[in-house]
Amino acid sequence: MELNKYILRRLIEITVIFFVILTVLFLLFRLAPGDPVSRMVDPSMTAEDARRLIEQLGLDQPLGTQYIIYLKSFFSGDLGISFHYGVPVLDIIGERLPNTILLFTTSVILAALTGIFFGKIASWHKGKKIDSWLTIGALICHTLFLPWLALIIIWFFGYRIGWFPLNGILSPEIWTDPANGFFIRMLDVLHHMALPLMTLFIIHFGSYLLVMRSSMLETLKEDYIITARAKGLEEKVIRNHHAAPNAALPVVTSVALSLAFSINGGALTETVFSWPGIGRELVFAVSNNDYPLALASFLLIAIVVLLANLLVDILYAWLDPRIRY
Amino acid sequence: MSIDSAIPRPLWGVMSRLLTYGLVICLLLTGGPACSRGKQAAALKIGLAEEPRTLNVWLASDANSQKILRQIYQPLYRPEPATLKLVPWLAESEPVFDPETVSYTVKIRPAKWSDGSDLTSADVAFTARLIKEFKIPRFSAKWSFVTRIETPGPRTVRYYLKAPTAVFLSRTLIGPVVQKKEWESVARAARQLEKPLAALLNHKIASPVSSGPFMLTQWRRGAYLHLQQNPHFFGRNLTIGGLQLGPHVENLLFKIYGTSDVAILALKKGAIDMFWQGIQPGYLDDLAKDPGVRTISSAKSALYFMGFNMRRSPFNDLALRQAAAALIDRDFILTRVLQGHGQKMFSVVPDENIFWSCPDVDRYFEGLPREDRIRRAYDILTRSGYSWEVPPVDASGQVQTASGLRLPNGAQMPRFTILTPPADYDPHRAISGLIIQEWLRELGMPAYARPMSFGALLQQVKERHDFDTFILGYGKLPIDPDYIRSMFYSKFDRPRGWNMSGYRNPEFDRLANASRKVIDPNQRRELIWDMQLLISRELPYLPIYKPALIEAIREDRFHGWVPMQDGIGNIWSFCRLRPTTLEK
Amino acid sequence: MSLPDHPKTAARPAGLSVRFHWIRRFREGWAIFRENLIGRIGLMLLGLFGLMALCSFIPPLIDPMYHPMTGVDPAISHSTGPSLKHWLGTDFIGRDIFSQLLAGARIAFMVGLSSALISILLGTTIGMIAGYAGRIADTLLMRLADMIMVMPTLLVVLILASLFGQLSIWTIVLLIALFRWPGVSRVIRAQTLTLKQRPFIEAARVAGASHTRIIFRHIMPNVLPLSLLYMTFRVTSAIIIEAALAFLGFGDPGTVSWGMMLQWVWKTGHMFQAPYWLLPPGICISLLTLSFFMLGRSMDEVLDPRLRKEDTNR
Repeated sequence: MELNKYILRRLIEITVIFFVILTVLFLLFRLAPGDPVSRMVDPSMTAEDARRLIEQLGLDQPLGTQYIIYLKSFFSGDLGISFHYGVPVLDIIGERLPNTILLFTTSVILAALTGIFFGKIASWHKGKKIDSWLTIGALICHTLFLPWLALIIIWFFGYRIGWFPLNGILSPEIWTDPANGFFIRMLDVLHHMALPLMTLFIIHFGSYLLVMRSSMLETLKEDYIITARAKGLEEKVIRNHHAAPNAALPVVTSVALSLAFSINGGALTETVFSWPGIGRELVFAVSNNDYPLALASFLLIAIVVLLANLLVDILYAWLDPRIRY
Repeated sequence: MSIDSAIPRPLWGVMSRLLTYGLVICLLLTGGPACSRGKQAAALKIGLAEEPRTLNVWLASDANSQKILRQIYQPLYRPEPATLKLVPWLAESEPVFDPETVSYTVKIRPAKWSDGSDLTSADVAFTARLIKEFKIPRFSAKWSFVTRIETPGPRTVRYYLKAPTAVFLSRTLIGPVVQKKEWESVARAARQLEKPLAALLNHKIASPVSSGPFMLTQWRRGAYLHLQQNPHFFGRNLTIGGLQLGPHVENLLFKIYGTSDVAILALKKGAIDMFWQGIQPGYLDDLAKDPGVRTISSAKSALYFMGFNMRRSPFNDLALRQAAAALIDRDFILTRVLQGHGQKMFSVVPDENIFWSCPDVDRYFEGLPREDRIRRAYDILTRSGYSWEVPPVDASGQVQTASGLRLPNGAQMPRFTILTPPADYDPHRAISGLIIQEWLRELGMPAYARPMSFGALLQQVKERHDFDTFILGYGKLPIDPDYIRSMFYSKFDRPRGWNMSGYRNPEFDRLANASRKVIDPNQRRELIWDMQLLISRELPYLPIYKPALIEAIREDRFHGWVPMQDGIGNIWSFCRLRPTTLEK
Repeated sequence: MSLPDHPKTAARPAGLSVRFHWIRRFREGWAIFRENLIGRIGLMLLGLFGLMALCSFIPPLIDPMYHPMTGVDPAISHSTGPSLKHWLGTDFIGRDIFSQLLAGARIAFMVGLSSALISILLGTTIGMIAGYAGRIADTLLMRLADMIMVMPTLLVVLILASLFGQLSIWTIVLLIALFRWPGVSRVIRAQTLTLKQRPFIEAARVAGASHTRIIFRHIMPNVLPLSLLYMTFRVTSAIIIEAALAFLGFGDPGTVSWGMMLQWVWKTGHMFQAPYWLLPPGICISLLTLSFFMLGRSMDEVLDPRLRKEDTNR
């Protein structure tokens, strides 16, 4: 009962935060210098043309009116038409989002699982050589400069030894050939995904390992582990069946809580690998002054992060009734 | 943070299951390379730097969309590669001018659309009327002086003009022709709406009906575009402009490469046959080592210049603009910043435009060393009443670090900015701005180069007119020099107009108006040259350089690229390329 | 949870006790720190980069052509490999890469430290105020923190940089700081909440100390070690964000930062052919962030048990 109330309160908070972000961004985009029309450096674009275009885009209206129009269409599920592509924003997001989800979730899950696995080993051998190496390795992975790493990975795996495609999400040669069925096409996508996945994996895995390691060390001090030891259970059983599952929980939550941070890296990776996802589209939309698209993609990212945070809070509240904020 | 150990058990189960999935994925990944060696279709593969914006020809203001659409929609006339003279393309012959009625009559070739229907005068007239009715940006100004369009026959179109206009042939008739059948219903629907132009521009064209050598088969957004030979292309086996046309390439595949580095690697690897984007000179040494790759340098019809705000002090003073012109060493910028790949510019019309470019413009101390430039600039400014606390040239004629420049009215020269696009947009202009700042400071001018985002820069310069100086460029100037008029005509000195400097000179206006009315090219050239001389004397813009266009290709699969101004990616190339393997 | 406080602490003037406490704590901490391998490596690396930053003033004095931004070798007009005259080679207009690398170290320290300092100051102050004041101020400040926390910093700064034109390095520093305080303030708030319950705060309040005095004289010294710890992590993220921003072309073109160097090598097409130009800045960014991170982690190990011990002992 109380949990429900808590969730409701958080949902209301999130809604308020969401609309504050929406408003701030809306104002930011409209008040910033430059508009989509002024970017067209074409001598055949006359001043009248520019004025007419501005009017057709609805940018000649007063700011308040524009905001109300935007809110109205927002509530009717219409996020507007992209200035740049001339198609509804939702269509573009619908095309790009699955690509992002595919790359991002795969990399996060793989990194978390590997991080948990090695973090467990490191904590178990605390103070020994293997622990030091794993920790230092994780630290190095975690602090590598992402775009630089991505470019070196492209050069080495994509060009030097040439195992993987350089960038993109699929090879047109395979997709335009009607002889290739669904399975081969999917393999082709996975083949393209290997390098961006590797980049994101390297960046993420280190931090998950570190979180797992310290969380495991803490768990091992807990009473029930000591009890288990006293019962004479095998160390391996204690580690894998008693300590690890509990210690892994903070890793899961840190995945959710560091989501905003990971999205930065996701956008950088998508940009360097020309992976047609939301992050890259956002960077493009911003530099093209494509407000509707930029606003929508950013709001999408914000809502995902907000919900992930909420989920973690709920999870904790559910697991540990003592926690209430 | 103690958690009851019983609860997360199921979580652990989920995790181990996920781990298994992960392993499966890994296995699949290593199996990937074997599968990607599919059979090689005979497609010409081209790398693009960015996703095309749209296939709606009226919205497509970006270079990448135009690269695709140029294969699809065709104009009546187009310049041929060797001389850049206009030759009849979709038209059959030169237009016939009737001075009596001020009309041009154009006969078109027998041609078909890719859906098999005939391309008739109705399509040509429809396109023109559509532009005029909806006042389509970028196009409508070119049609403003056309009063009426008639179709006396299925292959004859007649245009009635307000007055004889020189740019009708060279600018109006080189626009694309669209199919009436395809666009009529779109236009009808758009008319009903509140914002007809927006509806027309935002109409989604999935597969444009083509009259060109290729037609679109598939566009998978974010991944590729696939074009196929158009079986109904009118130009097949015709000889136009001295070149026999094909096309001999079955398929075109356009792939998107976000960064040129990766595109170059793809080229070296053989994943693409051409990267359709100018590349930085830095790549050349490396590419020269690769026997499969060839680089081609073409002249660009471009103008990169420094603009001055003539609406306000201090750059409303000609002497100051001349001093700046004297200080700017084009040779340095060319050799260092452009690495020698480009040309110095002295007139606002590029040299390659041999017919229209005026050779007699002032070259502002070309080839003079640094110190002499400072002396000349010093002379120009002292003669006009400028003074210094520490002059740049001391009593014995030695150059020294100047400071405290004062305007003729005795006031300290205020600090001013040189606005440039940011380095990521164009490193050349951003770095040139910094270098010019240093040069101007040597004479005591408090110059500050300020790279700013492109949109903001244009707004400040073009709309608000709130700036001192700027460095901008036109990457693709038309061959017809009518653009000088839009850059300096007094009527265009207004927000969003192209007269960014605020240049107003009745003499120039008179020449510009006259140049539009004269039909005889030689007579018109006299006027165009006079306009260039005037600009070079009064310096609203100081032309600095234009970069060369360096493109990289592989010729092991296809050959026969046609060199031309603005690069080998022209329609002539695509109509003439042949697969190399077939001939062997 | 909270055990009875030591009577001494409440009786003695708090400021004095805190000062002694500080020195003792520092020396103890240092002793533990010295044992820590990761900490030692971090500190060593940091010293190396510090030296680089200091040395960055030397090359321009030797010859103006070694000026990282404006100096060009008159004999070289394209990128060349390492030589005696240019240890790491030159960039595409003939500037010395080694002196650029040194100047980059200076910029990285400047960006990292100043932005971390600002965000820590903000975070600590806001956290303390929220924790101490409670009620509406607490709710408002913490919801603000929540809001900023869900923003991906890099993307937001990128949006701002792209909308408002090229930002100067100080604006970038400030922006990063403005988006990086909420994490700190959350932790500091929690810490303040527990401190607030302690008798010595109560005692100070009874003695008539103002709120400002309590916050800055009594609470601040106790949360400062924690802030300091967070500072090392903030340095890391600030350096990375600045580098990523510069790499994408939204940095300050007037400064020679490592990200800027990478941008130049990328945009001028030397990426895969001038390893002498591509590798050093990337390695430096990674190593410098690594060294701060290592420092932070080992400090964490030094501070953490102590902080927890205090939780129960005080």
